[in-house]
Amino acid sequence: MGVTVLQQFPVPENKTGTYVIEMLSKRILALGATQQGQFLVDCESYLSHPQMGTTKTVHILHNSEQPASVFSILESGNKNIHVIADGLFDLFMIKLSQHYTSKKQTKIESKGPRFELGDFCIKLGSVTMNQSFKGILIEVEYRPCVTANAVWGLLREFLQGLLGSSTVIQPPQHLKNRMSEIYTPIDTVHQYLELFSAYRKTTALRVQ
Amino acid sequence: MNPSINVEQLNSALTSLRTLRSSVSQVFEALSNGLRADHGEDGKEKFLLELQELLNNVNINLRDLEQTTNGLPIPTGSFNLGNTTYLSQETTQDRQALYTQLVNSYKWTDKVHEYSSFAHSILSQNSLRRSYANSGSTKRRGKLQSNHNVPPGQVDNVINTIDRSYTDMKITISRPYASNAVVQISLGHVLKAVVAFKGLLMEWVMVKGYGETLDLWNESRHNVFRKVTENAHAAMLHFYSPTLPELAVRSFMTWLHSYVNLFSEACKRCGCHLHHTSLLPPAWRDFRTLEPFHDECKQ
Ligand SMILES: [Zn+2]
Repeated sequence: MGVTVLQQFPVPENKTGTYVIEMLSKRILALGATQQGQFLVDCESYLSHPQMGTTKTVHILHNSEQPASVFSILESGNKNIHVIADGLFDLFMIKLSQHYTSKKQTKIESKGPRFELGDFCIKLGSVTMNQSFKGILIEVEYRPCVTANAVWGLLREFLQGLLGSSTVIQPPQHLKNRMSEIYTPIDTVHQYLELFSAYRKTTALRVQ
Repeated sequence: MNPSINVEQLNSALTSLRTLRSSVSQVFEALSNGLRADHGEDGKEKFLLELQELLNNVNINLRDLEQTTNGLPIPTGSFNLGNTTYLSQETTQDRQALYTQLVNSYKWTDKVHEYSSFAHSILSQNSLRRSYANSGSTKRRGKLQSNHNVPPGQVDNVINTIDRSYTDMKITISRPYASNAVVQISLGHVLKAVVAFKGLLMEWVMVKGYGETLDLWNESRHNVFRKVTENAHAAMLHFYSPTLPELAVRSFMTWLHSYVNLFSEACKRCGCHLHHTSLLPPAWRDFRTLEPFHDECKQ
């Protein structure tokens, strides 16, 4: 897999999320892209019971790009520990319900159309939590390259071409210390978790 | 229609072309079948005789073709559609499609004409020095040995020396097909390539991405590496030198090494990473300066 950048796209004051997704889809199709189905990334977070000591949070994420995997990230102080497992891990979490309770009301997901354009893969996601619309996330993957520092300039150029040259594009927080390492699917999941966590802290936006 | 074109002449030229092609494929068929039972006791000699016979046929057919084509008038420019343009006014339903077909084949012949005139001017410069025929003075030719037939140890030496001169390019040699080397190159975290050698001469290159499995025949799934493969073939021909094969290999490897910045360096001409129509990074490297360019920007 290649290097992926996840970017927030601001929804203009008097526009809906659906409108923005449609506008961006048109722009991407005009560049010669083909739509290749839909995608979905979701995240559910669990809190450990107080009697287990300090409360810990476990985030469980699924990404339709890796349909056979379940990604779990345990927040432990300043460090995050991740485990990649197969689909059975979801059942395992149910078994653990005595020790970890789901914060159902914060279940959050990003879904929408998926496009392929040359060696790029572009996903336009509407983020919803508890059926309320939170914002738009654009995921761009450049598949031939495996290290972020080599391809960063190219990705920024592509994103600015797509979103307007005035858009400021910074490497995602998660990638900043890993720019020269080989990119793997968990790096995409970390980026989603970062932005999902930020959305959870904001109050709901307008209707979708 | 152009009155100077004689259809019969054209037909006989096409027929002799077909005969030539089939006689060439007979040569390859006989070669690939090798010795057969019906060659009998001293099969080797009979086989060689048979091959010689077939090659003679090829020669005869080639001469025939040359003769018939020499008789053909050279089309001076594009063809005139003449009366056939009235086909556009055809009212019978089952003939209405004819006009589009006509236009398409017209466009096609026009393109063939254009391409063949380009090809002619390039080939007449003989810029691809694939044979010994005009490789310098007869004096030097006396000392030449065949570079198709170099002992494996010597090939290993040349390649290992190149390998040692780079820290970010790893070259490994294997010999899956008898004595000829197949060389795998991995260049940083950027790309992998496989080069098939015949003696010290490079015969085939395939370039793929870092995470892809490498083999000689399957193309990369990424557009950019398919483009680099295409350009690597051009480079292989450009650096080709029957008299100095070692230099050719070294020049090619130096050129390939310059792809270490394939994704990070912008095009020297337009200053962009991605070309606005192909959406590819600069996948061409200048043979002399090794500077990156988009295919579309290289001239
Ligand atoms: Zn350019």
